[in-house]
Amino acid sequence: MRVPRFIALSALFAFSLLTAVMSHDAYAAEAKKATSIDELAKMYDSTGCKQCHDDIYKEWQQSIHSRSIFGTGRTAATIKTTVAVGLTGWQHSGVKKPEDVQVKHLMICAKCHLPQLAEATDAVAKEIVKNAYIYTDPKASDDAREKAIAQLSKVNINCLICHQRNAITHKWVDGTPAKDTVYGSKDGAHADAGHPKMKKSPIMSESILCGQCHGLGPNFELENPSQCATLYGSYLWAYRAEGGQEACQECHMKKSKLGHNMQSYRDAGMAKAAVDFKVEMLPHQWRDGSKMVPVNVVKVEMLNKAGHSIPDG
Amino acid sequence: MTAKDNKGKEIFKQSKIYMPIPQQLGRGDKMGRGPYEKSGILRDTTLPPGRPVHETFEIGFPSGEFDMTVDVELWYLPFGNKDSDPFLWQKVTKKASIEKGGV
Repeated sequence: MRVPRFIALSALFAFSLLTAVMSHDAYAAEAKKATSIDELAKMYDSTGCKQCHDDIYKEWQQSIHSRSIFGTGRTAATIKTTVAVGLTGWQHSGVKKPEDVQVKHLMICAKCHLPQLAEATDAVAKEIVKNAYIYTDPKASDDAREKAIAQLSKVNINCLICHQRNAITHKWVDGTPAKDTVYGSKDGAHADAGHPKMKKSPIMSESILCGQCHGLGPNFELENPSQCATLYGSYLWAYRAEGGQEACQECHMKKSKLGHNMQSYRDAGMAKAAVDFKVEMLPHQWRDGSKMVPVNVVKVEMLNKAGHSIPDG
Repeated sequence: MTAKDNKGKEIFKQSKIYMPIPQQLGRGDKMGRGPYEKSGILRDTTLPPGRPVHETFEIGFPSGEFDMTVDVELWYLPFGNKDSDPFLWQKVTKKASIEKGGV
């Protein structure tokens, strides 16, 4: 850590006092739900990580995880469609108009695109939907659209989602992730006043970490189960089951050298590594009695070298 | 994939789709489209991991033509068409010729 020693020590000292006093309040705070996008962004504010992990933070900023609710615009547009075509069209959803959307409705999308929405009130779900509608409204002014994009971009899959909130899948075995702790590859102290502890996550290098969002199939915990991402299912049953040994992180972070800028087909290196594409031709002349019939036989071979089917969804 | 003759005229065009074909709301024979509808699989034509997928196309040479240029392209189409955010994954262009004359 490149924090001056005296600042780090004084910060740790102050925090140890605070945690002694606030150990009870920490749980109360956990139960308090965010009531706006801004509050939810603050609840999962990872900008402090940049101070010491600048390179990693910059990698993440280039990733689609950093704009998981806006995406390339497609995600925001699909949220709007989910409401306009799905939720408002279903007789028993309880959604007659966009303003009726609650957290439980938006979890169809947010389970993966913004899992921390579970710690927000329905007001946040409505705010997300409102901004998705503005973004996709052709009559909206450029200024309004830019503001909607900015608001939707405030919340995302950031450091604290993978390195805290979702860092433990088996809570009966490993405990519930603590709000004052970041989870990675080792135990120890962590020179950040907000997160002074560091613990080893048993799944940080395992595919199950990614599988929480890049999922298995229909999400049956929802009242209206659907599926979007099914890569983990494919990984388990079409790759591991056939003898595949590598974890998601091996290709998407290490071999690709992309680190926390986890990409897929949009990265030229990943696209090239994922699929072998061979084309062979056999032009010849078929003899139909006395008549020559020239024909070209084109053979194409595609080999998916990824640890899951292509494409997903 | 497309094939063109020497003058650039298209003489063959065919495409195949590789994707998990989701079942709408987990019932019946209809495909679901939006992620909020996808709850099952009707058919899976994706490229599976580690197993090659082979395709064979037979293209006849038009009468009097001895050459053709074949373009084989692999596209990723997030919205199912080339109008919305298409991505050209792979492309191979090859020329094929048949012998002129002979016995």
